[in-house]
Amino acid sequence: MSTNNLIELHQVTKRFPVGDGEFTALSDINLSFSKGEFAGLIGPSGSGKTTLLNLIGALDDSTEGEIKINGKNIANNSDEASALLRNEHIGFIFQSYNLLPVYTIYENVEFPLILQKIPKEDRKIMVLQALEWVGLKDIANKKPSQISGGQAQRVAIARSIVKKPEIILADEPTANLDSENAYKIMDILKNLNEELGITFLFSSHDSKVIKYLKRVISLEDGKIINDEVK
Amino acid sequence: MLEFLFKGLIRDKSRSVLPVIVVALGVSLSVFFVGYMKGMIGDVVDQNARFNTGHVKVMSRAYVQNISQKPLDLSLLDAEVLIKDLKHQYPEMNWVKRINFGGILDVPDENGQTKTQGIAGGIALDLSENSIDKERMKLGNNLIRGTLPKGAYQIILGEGLAKRMNVNIGDKITFFGSTMDGAMSFQNFTLAGTVSFGTSVLDDRTFIIDINDAEQVLDMVDAAQEILGFLPNDVYDESKIETIKNDFNTKMSVETDEFTPEILALKDQAGLRYMLDIANISTSLFSTLFIIAMSIVLWNTGLLGGLRRYTEFGIRIAMGESKKAIYKSLILESIIIGLIGAVIGTLLGLGLTYYLQEVGIDISDMMSQNSMIISNVIRAKVVPQQLWIGFIPGVVATLLGALLSGRGIFKRQTSQLFNELGV
Repeated sequence: MSTNNLIELHQVTKRFPVGDGEFTALSDINLSFSKGEFAGLIGPSGSGKTTLLNLIGALDDSTEGEIKINGKNIANNSDEASALLRNEHIGFIFQSYNLLPVYTIYENVEFPLILQKIPKEDRKIMVLQALEWVGLKDIANKKPSQISGGQAQRVAIARSIVKKPEIILADEPTANLDSENAYKIMDILKNLNEELGITFLFSSHDSKVIKYLKRVISLEDGKIINDEVK
Repeated sequence: MLEFLFKGLIRDKSRSVLPVIVVALGVSLSVFFVGYMKGMIGDVVDQNARFNTGHVKVMSRAYVQNISQKPLDLSLLDAEVLIKDLKHQYPEMNWVKRINFGGILDVPDENGQTKTQGIAGGIALDLSENSIDKERMKLGNNLIRGTLPKGAYQIILGEGLAKRMNVNIGDKITFFGSTMDGAMSFQNFTLAGTVSFGTSVLDDRTFIIDINDAEQVLDMVDAAQEILGFLPNDVYDESKIETIKNDFNTKMSVETDEFTPEILALKDQAGLRYMLDIANISTSLFSTLFIIAMSIVLWNTGLLGGLRRYTEFGIRIAMGESKKAIYKSLILESIIIGLIGAVIGTLLGLGLTYYLQEVGIDISDMMSQNSMIISNVIRAKVVPQQLWIGFIPGVVATLLGALLSGRGIFKRQTSQLFNELGV
């Protein structure tokens, strides 16, 4: 395994208990991602895309194998250690935006920084900068219910990049958006990848997303069937 | 983070207002219940102590055996010496003689023939000018007509009894009864005034005369049917009373004479021990049930709130907050909600209690056939216990609800929880 890789998966298998037996969601996965990659996992439902994202995002433990982020094995991390890893190194973008409805746009973006205990003045600078990146600085005081789906996803992007993570995991980020907004979002993400050097890992079946990817990993029945660099 | 949590709590009404209302209602009910019970118990204690039992009552052993009949022939003799001794042994107590007796009151017409007649119960107490016992009975405050007796052989009637006998101030009333030795006794009295004791059983059946007049009429000079003892300021303290009772009775235990004085405490008389114990147990039971019921309600509220907030928890996990930290924040929120609800509930409960303390509920219509010494006006009483009796359970129940409902976060695998959130 190369030590220059940001993410490394070595013979990773994930099995879930189902009734009396087990279901193998991922089988013997070997993958690595370098810093600054713009890669995606594609495949039909049940192929293991989300499970793989969960493992990389330290939301789940592999049954077998080794997962390293920045060279550190995250398998069997404690809940606190996994939380710290997510807080410091990983950002998430979701299909359904998942903004906290009672907080303003500004406060939603500010939240990851509060967890990092960054001083209020510094937080303000960072939040406004993140909102500027996604072009939403002027709606900072609005509530999620007052903005469109496209804007909400841009807020979610701002929230994920505000702490300047090394990795962003995006699970079907354009699934709820129309074509125009989907392209806008992908343009923003591509720019962030190029300007900030953030490593993006998508899970998607959307051709609009796939079009932007520099590396496409195809999964089927929990196995990698193709790994193509464009 | 605290500021962030506060904002969420204030803005999300279902997270704050509903639980606060639940806690406040529960706490206020609990606080009010305690105030109501204390008021009622206090009133029963006060009324019985003043009119009947004292905080302690000294009687002869033989009298104690037949206390329900109030037999005059079993009264204590050499009462003045005994009172002097009691004052010496227990100087903090106020000791007074009382005689309870019964007889026929006869009101004659202008020809000396019976106009009205009826059986009544008499209470003889010190009605002299500086009498503490007179003040204790609040006779001056409760005077309806006329004045208090200022001379010998003057009588006060309960207003209900006076009306029933159709007498006016200054009318002659003849008492027929029996002396301490069982001889027939009669004496004319002049009606000085009428009083309302605030208790139907007393208003309709009781008359009051001075203890010196009673001793003459009943041939009981230097005898005492009952000697009542009261703690300073008439404030009842069960433990002090029990100490005095046990001390006195232990000292007297060597005596074998049936006329040896014996002390009964307030709770030993008129079935009060049972009633007061039941009242105290029910108060404790209610508080315990309240904590359990509130915990279940708040657990349920917490569960529903928690389920509704799963998306939020999922987002927070994704942002890098640990399950432990989320659980801690839930507990912190519950403490804040519990405190706010408990403060509101306590104030509400105290307000209701104060209202009922000052205004009261008049139940005189229901008490007309009653034979217990219970006030015609139910009043609650504001007591220090109310400051914590609802407050602590309110906070504890909210906390318990959050602890139980929050366990769901730990029971699940992070990814399982995360997926359930629909994140």
